[in-house]
Order: sequence, then structure tokens, then C-alpha cells
Amino acid sequence: MNWPDLSMGGYGFYVWGSYLFALVAIVWEVLSLRHRKKALANEARRAVADDDRPAAVRTTVLRGSTNETTS
Amino acid sequence: MKLYKYASPAMFYPVAGKMIPWFAIPAALLFAVGLYVGFFVAPTDFQQGDAYRIMFIHVPAAWMGMFLYVLMAIYAGIGWAFNARLSSMMASAIAVTGAMFTLLSLVTGAFWGKPTWGTWWAWDARMTSTLILLFLYAGFIALQAAIDDPRRADRAGAVLAIVGVINVPIIYFSVQWWNTLHQGATIRLLGKPSIAAPMLTALLIMLAACWLYSVAIVLVRLRCIILEREQNASRLAEVNA
Repeated sequence: MNWPDLSMGGYGFYVWGSYLFALVAIVWEVLSLRHRKKALANEARRAVADDDRPAAVRTTVLRGSTNETTS
Repeated sequence: MKLYKYASPAMFYPVAGKMIPWFAIPAALLFAVGLYVGFFVAPTDFQQGDAYRIMFIHVPAAWMGMFLYVLMAIYAGIGWAFNARLSSMMASAIAVTGAMFTLLSLVTGAFWGKPTWGTWWAWDARMTSTLILLFLYAGFIALQAAIDDPRRADRAGAVLAIVGVINVPIIYFSVQWWNTLHQGATIRLLGKPSIAAPMLTALLIMLAACWLYSVAIVLVRLRCIILEREQNASRLAEVNA
């Protein structure tokens, strides 16, 4: 195995810049989805807890908002 | 076996969950192998020096941007024509990943263009049509986000996605139709590729890795969309009752 020249024959900035951007893009996508999944799980947990409360004080969670509405 | 029962979002949700590791793990392995071949095995290009190594991420990203757009339009079209919710959700799940790959191809292309052509950007046919592809993705995502009723959002998105498909062959053939700054195709469906074997191997492994990654990440997003929409549907029903 021969290690590649890290300076990439003078093109290091461009080569590593490209791969760094790719890494950032993929990590961003994975982390943002993980965050979205967690938020959904929390919302579901809250909804389950809500169902145990009397109907008059139930919280209805609608998309993107956490308005307290009584049904 | 009744396969069509998996067309229901609630039925497909656990199946998608089981499928994710089968794509995510091979994707990670193939990224590692592809980068190894690309950086340690493939020789330095006699014309472009080491700058050509950008293509191992640039070319798969550009291909994925185009493939995913067509796939998104097909799913959106099926969802629209047959009123298939899961299919429309799939289209929405694909959009962000497709946009990510298109942006990646534009950025890595700029990183390639600067040392080889002397410019980060040119209003050349291929680059301009790829930028339009990114705008189409952005338009699809924004349009869906702007409409509250998910089924109406699906239909509006489908129209945009299907009309925008015309742009994909334009991107693909732009280097033949117009005299562009961008170089011609290196790998053709018919005929010999014009690059050395290890370079081609690295490129194809990276392409496979990008495909597997896309499937895995789209399934993760699809599961989120299923939860959000089905949850909203049941809660809305509760509010309206």
C-alpha cells in the first residue's frame, strides 16, 4: 500500500474540500433525520400520556405547533 | 403472498424499518472500499493530476441527482394516478436526498472546475441544467411544504415533478448537443469506458455506495413521513369529531 500524497500534487484544497463537503452533507442528512425521529417519538409519548388525562384537558398536537386546545 | 397489502403506509412502516440496516451497512462498507480504491489503488491521472480524484464523489453524486429525480417523478406520478398515499410519501422522501446529491455534484464540480478550467462556475449547458435540477427539487420541497392538506400537496408536487423530468435528458445529453466546457461522458452504456480500470472500479463502487445510502436514508425519512402524516390524520379526525 502506498500512501497518497496528502497535498494531492498541489490540488489538496480542491480534493479535500470536495470530500469534506460530501462528509458534511451526509452527516447533516443523517443527524437531521435522527433529530426528526426523536421529535416524533417524543410527540408520540406525549400523546400517549395525554390519553390518560381527562378529555377536557387533553393537548392536541398538530403539525408544527403545540397549541393547547381543549376538545 | 399478498404484496399489495404493503402499499398501506402502516403495513410498510415496520418492513421499511427492517430493510434499513441491509442497505445502510453495505453502504458504509462500500464507501470505505471505494475511497480506498480511489485514493490508494487508482493511479494519478496524466492530464489532471490528482484533481481527478474529485470525480469519485462528483460523478456518482451527479448521477444520483438525476436518477433520484426520475424516481421521485415516477413515485409522485403513481401516487397521483392511483391515489396511492405510500407512493406519494416515497416521492417526498426522495426529494431531499436528491437535492442533497445535486448540490453535492455542483459543489464538487466547482472544486474540480477551479483547478482544471480556471473557474468555479460557468453558465455552461450542463452546469446550468444541473442548477435547474436543484431548483426543481427545491420547488418540489417548497411547494409541498406550502400546502397544508397532504393529498393536495402530493398532487401539486406530482405535476411539478413530472413536468420537470424533461430537464433530466437535457442534462444528460447537454455535452453532446451543445459545445460545453464540461467534458463528455467517460462511461457509456455501449462501448468501452475511456478511463483506467482501477479508476472505473472506484467510480462504480462509489456509485453503488451512493445508491445503497440513498435507499437507506430515504427509508428512514419515509418512516418519519408515515408517522407524521398518519398521526396527523388520526389527530385531525379526533379534533373534527
